[in-house]
Amino acid sequence: MIQRHIHHLTRNPDQIFTAIMLPTVMLLLFRYMFGGAISVSDTSYVNFLAPGILVVSITLISTSTTLAVQSDMQEGVVDRFRAMPMFDAAVLTGHIVAAVIRGGVAFVVMIGLGLLVGFRPAGGVLEWIGAIAMLLLFAFALSWVSALFGLIAKSTEGASGLALILMFSPYASSAFVPVETVPSGLRAFVEYQPVTPVVDTVRALLLGEPVGSSAWQAIIWWVAVLAIAAPLATRLYRRRFA
Amino acid sequence: MTTTYARPAESPPTRLPREGLAESERIRHVLVAPQDRPERATAFSASLTYGWRALQKIKHLPEQLFDVTIFPIMMTVMFTFIFGGAIGGSVSNYVQFLIPGIFVQTLIMITMYTGLTLNKDFSKGVFDRFRSLPVWRPAQLVGALLGDQVRYLLAGTIMLGIGFLLGFRPDGGLIGVAAAFLLLLIFSFSLSWVWTTVSLAVRTEQAAMGVSMFVLMPLTFASNIFVDPQTMPSWLQGAVEVNPVSIVVTAVRELMNGVYSASSIGLVGLCCLVLIASFGPLSMSIYNRKS
Repeated sequence: MIQRHIHHLTRNPDQIFTAIMLPTVMLLLFRYMFGGAISVSDTSYVNFLAPGILVVSITLISTSTTLAVQSDMQEGVVDRFRAMPMFDAAVLTGHIVAAVIRGGVAFVVMIGLGLLVGFRPAGGVLEWIGAIAMLLLFAFALSWVSALFGLIAKSTEGASGLALILMFSPYASSAFVPVETVPSGLRAFVEYQPVTPVVDTVRALLLGEPVGSSAWQAIIWWVAVLAIAAPLATRLYRRRFA
Repeated sequence: MTTTYARPAESPPTRLPREGLAESERIRHVLVAPQDRPERATAFSASLTYGWRALQKIKHLPEQLFDVTIFPIMMTVMFTFIFGGAIGGSVSNYVQFLIPGIFVQTLIMITMYTGLTLNKDFSKGVFDRFRSLPVWRPAQLVGALLGDQVRYLLAGTIMLGIGFLLGFRPDGGLIGVAAAFLLLLIFSFSLSWVWTTVSLAVRTEQAAMGVSMFVLMPLTFASNIFVDPQTMPSWLQGAVEVNPVSIVVTAVRELMNGVYSASSIGLVGLCCLVLIASFGPLSMSIYNRKS
C-alpha cells in the first residue's frame, strides 16, 4: 500500500508541488511583505517565521489525506483491496505513511527555501533530531485525524470542508506572530490549541533556545490525538468494509 | 378539413415591398407593417437591458456573491485579530488601516467574475442568439459591466458593514466613504475591461479564472493593502508604490479619512483612462471577430 502511494507520488509530483506552493508563498509574503512590520523579541522575524512555515507545510500535506481517503472510498478501489489476502487496515496505514513521506520531502524543501531567505538555525545535531521527531509525531497524528475525517465525509465537498478546519489551525497559532500580540479573548485559544506547542518546540529546538514546557505539552497533545484517532479510524474503516 | 385564418380587420393590408430592398428587409416588411414596428433600441437602453440580465444572474446564483466575499471576510478577521496586534501595534489601530485596503481588494477580486460570466455565455452559445438581434453590438459587453456595478455595490456594502462591526471609524464620515466608494466603482468598471478581454481571448472558464488569479493575487498582496510600504525592503517598496492597486488604496484611504487629494484622485483617474483606452477597443475587436 505504501508502494502504491509512492507510485502516485512519482506519477503525480504536482501533489507535493501544490502542497509546497502555499507555504512558499506564505514564507515569501511574511518574510518580505509583512515581516518588516512585525517585531519579535530575541531573534529576527525570519528565524521566528521559518519553523512556523514548516508546521504549516506539514499540516497541508497531512490534511491532504482527508481527500485521498475519501476518494478511495468513493471510487470503489477499496472493494477490490478487500478481496485480497492482506491486513485490512493497510489501506489506511498506506495513506498515513505516504503523508509522512510527503511531509519529509516538504521539510527538506522548506528548510532549503528558509535558508535562501535568511533563516539561520543555531540548534545542534540533537536539537535537529528532536525537531524532526516532533514534526514526525505531528505529521503522523494529524494524518490519522485526516484519515478519520476522510472516512466520516460523505462527499468530496464534505471532505474539503473538514480538511479546511485542520488546515486553518496553524494560522491561529504562534506560527506567524508572537502569542502576546493576539487580543486577550483570542489569546487563550491560540495559546492552548494543540498546534502552538508544536510550533514553539520546533522553533526553540532549531534556534537552539530553551524548550521549556512546550515539548511536553506537544507530546501529550499529539500522543493523545493519535491514541484516539488511529483506533477510531481503523474501527470505522473495518465497520464500513466488513 | 382545412381551416382558413382571416386577417384581423384592424390590421392594414400588406403592401408589397419596393424592389431593391435587402431580403431580410423585404421579409420584415411583409411580417410587420411599418407603423406597428417598435422603435429600434438605443445603445443606452440595450446596454441597460443586458445589465438587467446580468443582475438576474446574481438573483438566481447568489452564491457567486458569497464566493467572492467570504475570502475577504476571512482575510479581514484573520489579519485583524491574529496578525493585527503584531502589524499595527493594536487591533483598533490596525482596523483603521486595513479596512479601506480590504474594501479595495474585495471589489478588485470581484471584477474577474465579469469575464468569467461572459466566457460562460460565449461557450454556451448565448451570444449566437444575441447576434441576430437588431441592437448596438457592444451592448452585451457594456451591459454586463454595468450590471456588475450592482454586484460591486453589494459586496462593498457587506465589507464596509463588517468593517464597522470590527470598529472601523473613518474620519471622512459618510461623504468621505461615499466618495471613496464612487472612485472605487469607477476603477472596478475600468479594470473589468481587462477581464473581459481575457475571457474573450481564452477558451475555457478555468483558463480565464487562472489568468485572472495569476494577475490579481500578486497585485493585491504586493500592495499597501495590509502593511505600510515603509516597513518593506527598499527593492520591494518601489514596486509596491507603482502598483495600480496601491494607488487606488491610497486614494480610498485618503477619501475615507476626509483628505481630498487631487493628485491621488487624478492618478486613479489616469489608471482608469489607460485601462479603458487599452482594453475597451481590444475587447471589442476580439468580440467582433468572435461573433
